[in-house]
Amino acid sequence: MRRLRTVATLLGVAIIASADVGSPNVIFDGNAGPYPVRVVVRPPTVVPGLADVIVRVGAPDVRRVVLRPVYARVGANGAPQGDDAKPVSGQRSVYTGQVWLMVRGAYSVYVSISGARGTGTAIVPVNAFAAGRLGLSRGLGALLALLGVVLLAGLVTIVRAASGESLLPPGQTLDSRSRRHANVTAAIATPVLGLLVLGGAKWWSSVDAQYQRSMYRPPAVDAAVTTAAGDRAAGPGRMLTLSLRDTASYRALLSAVIPDHGKMMHLFLVKDPDLSAFAHLHPIQTDSLTFSTPVPGLPAGRYRVFGDLALENGTTMTVTTSVELPELGVSTPPRDPDDAWAVTPVVTQLWPAASVPIANDRLVMSWAGTATPFHAGEITELRFAVRTRDGAPANLEPYMGMTAHAVVMHHDGSVFVHLHPMGTVSSAAQQVFVLRDRGDTTRAGRVRIDSTPAAMTMPAASEFMLPYEFPKPGRYRIWVQVKAGGVPWTAAFDADVVK
Amino acid sequence: MATAIEPRESIVRAAVEPTQAPASWHAYTVVVGALCVMVGVYWDISWHMSIGRDTFWTPAHLLIQAGGLLAGISSGYVALETTFRGSDAERNASVSFWGFRAPLGAWICIWGCGAMITSAPFDNWWHNAYGLDVKIVSPPHTVLAIGIFAIVLGALLLTLAQQNRAAPELRRRLAWVLAGTGGLFIMNFALFLTEYSERRMMHSAFFYELTAAVFPFALATMGRAIKLRWAATAAALFYTAIMLVLMWIIQLFPATPKLGPIYQHVTHMITLSFPLLIIAPAVCFDIVLQRLDDRLSTMPLAAILGVVFVLVFMAVQWPFATFLVYSPIAHGRLFNADNFVYWMPPRYEALTRRFDPPAPGAWPFAVHVLITMAIASVSAGFGLLRGRWMTKVRR
Repeated sequence: MRRLRTVATLLGVAIIASADVGSPNVIFDGNAGPYPVRVVVRPPTVVPGLADVIVRVGAPDVRRVVLRPVYARVGANGAPQGDDAKPVSGQRSVYTGQVWLMVRGAYSVYVSISGARGTGTAIVPVNAFAAGRLGLSRGLGALLALLGVVLLAGLVTIVRAASGESLLPPGQTLDSRSRRHANVTAAIATPVLGLLVLGGAKWWSSVDAQYQRSMYRPPAVDAAVTTAAGDRAAGPGRMLTLSLRDTASYRALLSAVIPDHGKMMHLFLVKDPDLSAFAHLHPIQTDSLTFSTPVPGLPAGRYRVFGDLALENGTTMTVTTSVELPELGVSTPPRDPDDAWAVTPVVTQLWPAASVPIANDRLVMSWAGTATPFHAGEITELRFAVRTRDGAPANLEPYMGMTAHAVVMHHDGSVFVHLHPMGTVSSAAQQVFVLRDRGDTTRAGRVRIDSTPAAMTMPAASEFMLPYEFPKPGRYRIWVQVKAGGVPWTAAFDADVVK
Repeated sequence: MATAIEPRESIVRAAVEPTQAPASWHAYTVVVGALCVMVGVYWDISWHMSIGRDTFWTPAHLLIQAGGLLAGISSGYVALETTFRGSDAERNASVSFWGFRAPLGAWICIWGCGAMITSAPFDNWWHNAYGLDVKIVSPPHTVLAIGIFAIVLGALLLTLAQQNRAAPELRRRLAWVLAGTGGLFIMNFALFLTEYSERRMMHSAFFYELTAAVFPFALATMGRAIKLRWAATAAALFYTAIMLVLMWIIQLFPATPKLGPIYQHVTHMITLSFPLLIIAPAVCFDIVLQRLDDRLSTMPLAAILGVVFVLVFMAVQWPFATFLVYSPIAHGRLFNADNFVYWMPPRYEALTRRFDPPAPGAWPFAVHVLITMAIASVSAGFGLLRGRWMTKVRR
């Protein structure tokens, strides 16, 4: 990532995210069959392009690591055989390789690990979108311009020779009339060649404009808040409705929304600009492009809105907008029992040590990671422990199938990502590939998802780790959510990330 | 441009003593370089159709670069040799370029090599900026194609200059070398237009308009410049032979795609489609030129050649395309009509089993035929002028 960032800085790449904001790298922490594995995929900013893949295997008995780029529409049957990842010298159990992402859409990198205990495969979904536009560096521009001028001057000279001296029998010299004729021809050729070069430049511009039109951008979305009379017992409710819409040049959704962790959308609200309030809600889908949810708990004010969606074609995306929330008035009850929110006017620094009371002061969530500064572009293990007031491990329950959910956001809003202990990947996108490979498809390519993919269940340990790679330096807010006593709880931390 | 220049009276009148000197090693070297480049380009396209994986170090890329460097470096050597150590005869058979001296064809080869080298960083940046292209026609590829075109042209001119100075016996041998180089010249156009010459397009006006823009030019050039009775035919025959040999041989090698998604499970190298039947209009061009070249001026001759090209080419290519698209006999290695690239989805494969319908609101086809004839006539006119100029090149 450090390299990517450097390149981006030097050449003016504008990174636009897909299933996140400003955090394109994909991290998977899980298992490939019997082998524990962590996979980092750094997708290219252009497609077709090369994705860098780093595999760290947590087992000594590994013989071979193979990487295959699998496109969602065709599954593993339509994927190349793959290439061996090469072991990194000096780093035990770390392998690296590259895979080509040739077309836009949903890919997965299939990481197959062979060893003494057989072969296992991890599926790591990656969106392949054109997300950056590379500027022409000054040095390369100057080099190309110089070569172009030399070639043009050479061509004019050739035209002059072709219309004059080359027609003379050996030994003769050009008379003044022939020389004038050759000069006139060269003079005519010069503007003609100039026009051809201009035509080439125009062609280049049109390719560039076409490319920019086809770059990925999240769909346009409108947010509206109503305070209609809701439940009679609860009084007027505060409803937020998000409407995705097509634009003149861009279709909002290319395929149907599928549930991820059992929810059609994971919606996050963050109070602007002080980040002092946060909510993780789960709207219902009222039609293919409209989502609505009550907004409980949050104080009035301006909010950034992030909506995570998983699509049937295997891609994931984050839609963003902002909304002005009015006063709550009487309470608005949550619609979904997994909705969670927190108002945190004071937030402590994560590092070197932080503890935040949650669950009405009955539990404490503490930083349990190593005491080193966080570096951008490096894998960081965000490790937390939840304990009771007397120091005993808390009895946590799975929250939407996971031990914990977390949201990491740069204070300026330029980075936003939804994390789990399994990393940044969407389990729904993984499910699409599993179904595709099993043959649950139609000829037209749609996955036959008759019901929601089963939410993953995993034991809810009281200590957990969220792997992440901060894309750039700066101050980040991290909201960590766990479930205890049937209720989701949110703790907020700040983290400073250096180069 | 130089192609439109009528030869100067003083030059035409100049007496030319035929030379008995053997053809120079340089001309043959450059022809071999041009052949390497064109075979490399064909192989590279086939590589992209079958294997897909693209690095600078694919054998096809290396063959292209080696061919370009062979032509460019040998020409550079000749330029230095002629400038600093050349005999009077060598210096007298050369032209001046920024203070250096070499035959015109050598300068064009050097220029072509320079264009090919320039295209490399441009193409590399292009891939980084817009993604690895699977298109042939892109701005950096066009720079490369112009460089390749220049190398083939340089090879032609080097041999032509010698042909035009040579005694009859050597002239005849050189003429056959020229016909082979002319085949490469035609092949260069054909490969560059590959994306617009798919079988399904061969009943559309655009295909004929595009082919009419380039092939009459190439055939008329060869017909006039090469001192053979059937010059255009010979060049077209070489083009057809090279394309067929490459098509039949390369597909014998096993290959599997290294990129995905894979829609066609390719097991051997996929090669380009059966070559265009340029041979038919080429024969007619020679007949027309044999009978009318001395009697008519360029314009009426170009008009006749344009009409002949369209009528003859359509007469053979149209039914042959029908055969390729619809006949099961066309499938298989001989006619290669099932050469589906690995990335071709089933729905697109279905489109290749019928001809593209005309665009909504398109003009009647007869109007397009007239337009195509006009284009072919202009193209043939330029070819005739260029061919005449080429017969006068002495250096």
